Amino acid sequence: MARNRINDQDYRGPVRRILMACLCLGLGLTFLIWRIDSPRVERFRTAFIDRVVPSMDWAMVPLAKVAGMIDTFQSYARIYEQNQELRRELQQMKAWKEAAVQLEQQNAKLLAQNQVRLDPKLTSVSGVVLSDSGSPFSQSVLLNIGARDGIVDGWATMDGLGLVGRISGVGQNTARVLLLTDASSRVPVTIQPSGQKAMLVGDNSATPPLEFLQSPEQVRPDDRVVSSGDGGVFPAGVLVGTVVQTRDKRFRVLLSADYARLEFVRVLRSHPEEKIEGAGALIAPPEPPVIPLVFPDTSGAAPPAVDSGAGNG
Amino acid sequence: MVDPRTAARLSYRALFLVLALADLFVRLMPLSALPSDWPGPDVLVCLTVLWVQRRPDYLPSFMIAALFLLDDLMTMRPPGLWALIVLIGTEILRVREAGMRDLPFWGEWLAGGAFMAAMVLTYQFFLTLFMVPGVSLGPVLLNLFATIALYPPLALGLQWLVGLRRTATGEVDALGQRL
Repeated sequence: MARNRINDQDYRGPVRRILMACLCLGLGLTFLIWRIDSPRVERFRTAFIDRVVPSMDWAMVPLAKVAGMIDTFQSYARIYEQNQELRRELQQMKAWKEAAVQLEQQNAKLLAQNQVRLDPKLTSVSGVVLSDSGSPFSQSVLLNIGARDGIVDGWATMDGLGLVGRISGVGQNTARVLLLTDASSRVPVTIQPSGQKAMLVGDNSATPPLEFLQSPEQVRPDDRVVSSGDGGVFPAGVLVGTVVQTRDKRFRVLLSADYARLEFVRVLRSHPEEKIEGAGALIAPPEPPVIPLVFPDTSGAAPPAVDSGAGNG
Repeated sequence: MVDPRTAARLSYRALFLVLALADLFVRLMPLSALPSDWPGPDVLVCLTVLWVQRRPDYLPSFMIAALFLLDDLMTMRPPGLWALIVLIGTEILRVREAGMRDLPFWGEWLAGGAFMAAMVLTYQFFLTLFMVPGVSLGPVLLNLFATIALYPPLALGLQWLVGLRRTATGEVDALGQRL
């Protein structure tokens, strides 16, 4: 008869079974507690990762660098095509540079005339990407800046060019960035130039789809997508990417941020904007001061309400 | 002088631990934040099922539980559930191992694949039951197929490199004890 030989030693069987039951119970309870009180367990997880991952940094950084070097080395194989491509791009860039210089001068002039104060609150903290999410089904990265550097949950992050994601989970020394590609990421965006509002809904693919478009016929491929600032989480006007249309006529966004080489990330310090509470009240004429000036001896009608304070005899 | 049987067991356990941690480490390495179109295989699960099917005495249960709980915590999964399912799955497999020794390799592969599929589907079922926002079934199935496809190369590689093979029926160790 085929039996597990551990069970042959009859004193070990029961003890082992009890231990196994305890282990299973413990794991099940962990999951249930997470399900019931998720924020507390997530805080524990953040603190745990905060302790573990930075200590792995000494090995992770060199290995990632080596992998990056191998990647770069492979690109030597097609160095000629790359060279040609770069020359073409350089030509285009020169044209753009000229345009940019002109615009810059114009902008400087207008700013000087206007004394415009651009939003001074939008400063940023830069951080280095420590690690990936480690699973194909969740898209996030861990940064080496955290509560110590004043990072707060919900702040927007971008690389040099475009929006990357939003801070979700802050430890003492680390912070997790939920990328725009994650299945639970939702960002309100505006499509320019048509001004359409939409939601950018992450779905674990490299180009997240646009949902809840008001009128899709106004959207063209290659339109710019910027964050709209609705909901007050993200600052408005941060570049997200450009619209592309897939074969099934859905609109997706080609992200501007270079997700393939995410190394340095800027966290935008956004402060809660001033809220407008409630609809504006009715604008009425100023209330007449209370009646103390009406004496019995005047015995007439009270003076008209508008400036009763002035003419009182 | 260390008893050679104990030494072999400890070294194989250490090897498993090193391989599992290396896998976690590689996955956490910040190489590219782009989501891949093809979710790769889950090396840790494949390795665990392989180890349990080949030499269950080289892989204690608490190690499986601890490793998968660590994996749950590090990779933002709901902590505990996947670890629990893998633990129960490998326990069942562990009890069956002795009865499956005379199967040919494809039988071992089939059994391992079936267990991995059952574990993944149970996990998805519980995620749905507890209304945890999860991933759609498509990528999960791709991931599962990739994991099952990884089994033969991993098995062959480990057999050649470190001599991790299945015990034959009635095989005895150096001290004449039944394995």
